[in-house]
Amino acid sequence: MSLSHGLGMIRRALGVLTLLAAAPIAQAHIASNGFLSLEVERAHITGALELAIRDGELAVGLDRDRDGKVSWGELRAAQSALQSYVGSHLRLLGAEGPCTLSVGAVQVNQRVDGAYLWLPIAADCGREFARLRIDYSLLREEDPSHRGLLTLRAHAVVQTAVLGDTAGARAFDLDDPSPWEAIGEYLRAGVWHIWSGIDHLLFLLSLLLPAVLLREHGHWRPVPRARPAFMSILKIVTAFTLAHSLTLSLAAFDVVRLPSRLTESAIAASIIAAALNNVFPVFTESRARIAFAFGLLHGFGFASVLADMGLPHGARLLSLLAFNLGIETGQLAVVLLVMPAVYCFRKQLLYRRTVLPWGSAAIATLALVWLVQRAFFPS
Amino acid sequence: MRRNLVRALALLIAMGTAVAHAEPYVPDSDTVILAELPAGAHYADLAARRLARGRLDVALPLAQFYIQQSRLSGDLRFLGYADAVLAPWLEHRPAAVDALVLHATVQQSRHEFEPALATLELALAARPFDPQASLTKATILRVLGRYPEATLACDQFARSVDASLAALCSQSVRGLDGHLDAAYAALLQVSSQGWLNTEKSWLYSELGEMAVRLGRDDEARRWFQRDLDLLPGDVYVRTAYADLLLRQGLDAEALDLLRGMESFEPLLLRIAIAQQRLHDPALAQSSARLQVAFSVELQRGEAVHRREQARFLLEVEHQPLLALAAARENWTVQREPEDILVLVAAARAAGNLDAAEPALKFVRSTGLTDARLTAAR
Repeated sequence: MSLSHGLGMIRRALGVLTLLAAAPIAQAHIASNGFLSLEVERAHITGALELAIRDGELAVGLDRDRDGKVSWGELRAAQSALQSYVGSHLRLLGAEGPCTLSVGAVQVNQRVDGAYLWLPIAADCGREFARLRIDYSLLREEDPSHRGLLTLRAHAVVQTAVLGDTAGARAFDLDDPSPWEAIGEYLRAGVWHIWSGIDHLLFLLSLLLPAVLLREHGHWRPVPRARPAFMSILKIVTAFTLAHSLTLSLAAFDVVRLPSRLTESAIAASIIAAALNNVFPVFTESRARIAFAFGLLHGFGFASVLADMGLPHGARLLSLLAFNLGIETGQLAVVLLVMPAVYCFRKQLLYRRTVLPWGSAAIATLALVWLVQRAFFPS
Repeated sequence: MRRNLVRALALLIAMGTAVAHAEPYVPDSDTVILAELPAGAHYADLAARRLARGRLDVALPLAQFYIQQSRLSGDLRFLGYADAVLAPWLEHRPAAVDALVLHATVQQSRHEFEPALATLELALAARPFDPQASLTKATILRVLGRYPEATLACDQFARSVDASLAALCSQSVRGLDGHLDAAYAALLQVSSQGWLNTEKSWLYSELGEMAVRLGRDDEARRWFQRDLDLLPGDVYVRTAYADLLLRQGLDAEALDLLRGMESFEPLLLRIAIAQQRLHDPALAQSSARLQVAFSVELQRGEAVHRREQARFLLEVEHQPLLALAAARENWTVQREPEDILVLVAAARAAGNLDAAEPALKFVRSTGLTDARLTAAR
């Protein structure tokens, strides 16, 4: 599931729904819901409450002439009854206890499942507060399956919740709900992804395995000292990191998007190329450039993981950085674990004649299987 | 992956709700009619409810009336009204058995199967041979695909009803656990003389569904038609009938069958499928109404129409990946043949047949036979 996929569907859904708003509609029978939207601005709350006409009837009795129909005149006549009903069944509590609630003049809103009565709400909570408590008991007596669907806006952050399923007040933290926790989650996800997503590691390993060797006259020779090996590893890892960070960011902020079938297949192909280059060396000195070029692709692969997780509003950049940092940490851990061992073995003939070519061939074969799977049998 | 898909679905749906309402307005005249109130939804009816708080003989028929209203109209609010009437009698110690049985019926209607079974256990502990309790139990276990237990519940049911009704219960389970031919033959022999219309309707619907699974579509049509002649308000059979017509490509006929039934989400789904195939411009409206209904359900964390959600995503929206996520989710809640079909179809469309393996394994282990499944594979 790519993000682009989901967004495309949302756009289509929006198109359909906007089209519908003007058409007259018979009632559909969904369960009873009240829609409560609130916006907090310092010590003040503004918003609206919507109840289905039918629910309004059960709450205060709208159908005065008992003809089984509710007219606008009847609804208007019940305005003060509705206002006091809402006043006694909806309590908003700020830092200093209950806010002073005032309910305005009734209007009508046409929803897909029928007409709703619409009441503007304003509340004064004395002073600014960081936690809002909402006690929603509308229709609890009359219809225990009634729920209030809340949309709460504060500091440009939107929260949604279902109210009325339990007695008593529910609390909402208005500050961004603990950004550090979210960032920790993204960091872990990054580490986890590099370790479980073995394809990225195999690509990196294919480039790193020969970093402790030099290619001379068609033969591999061990590097004499640690420094050139270290520099080579550093260049490759840095190039890979820069490249995938770049495309990851572009994709995460929706600047560039590629279909996941394409990127996943291309990632498999990149592993084949990198591994085969060890068996039949073509690029021996410019592996950092390969790391950069193909790293761009791997960034799109990381992005699809991030797309599945979604980036939290308000902490997009931080979460992206945390995720990327997680990837680098996981990658660095593997490099630190594997490369010293590889460095020690570099003088063994076994390493140069067997481990490097046959290991690379095995990696290439595995990647070929992935390529076929991803390109022709995407799940 | 699956959780992500469901999350994406939830996101989509939430956005659907966000734009689903227009601006509030003030109507032009006092005489504008905003809504019509169905029977049982008047403020004045609350007096009867207050009376029911102290009198079980008022509470039970009132709750039954609400459940009936919900079945006839597809209106889920009535289930809430039934809850309100039953609540004080459930808190009673010991709880009133009849109130427990009705409460279980409400739970079953909301697809809260496990809680419903727990409620029925309480009822059956107090009154082991309550026919309604054991029948509801058998029905739920059947929906859950727990056929041996369903058979036991039918045995329990058999001890308090006449032999032909008992046979109807047990044969309907045998029709699923690998003995379809024999069960169909046995039900053809059942004498429905002296039965109530609702009981006859039950027989016809079982026969119709068995005929569908046997691949005898013409016979199935006759059973469904017979049922609807008897009880035009049988939404369950109308749904099955519409599915049969849609499967045969008789889209216009299906639309005729469902005309005026838009308030039932399951029927509205079939209407939308037919409209889509017929390129009917009314599809936009049906589709939007389904979206809103599903979005609200998802937001409320309810699972009443999961199967319909999956089919909607698959057959109307053509979103196989999202449909597969919904169908898998549905499979964790209920296991009727239709649930298998939608999971297999979604898995096939998504190019991920492995995802249907749990359902196919269920088919192998229970011996379930269904001509539609054979055709789909």
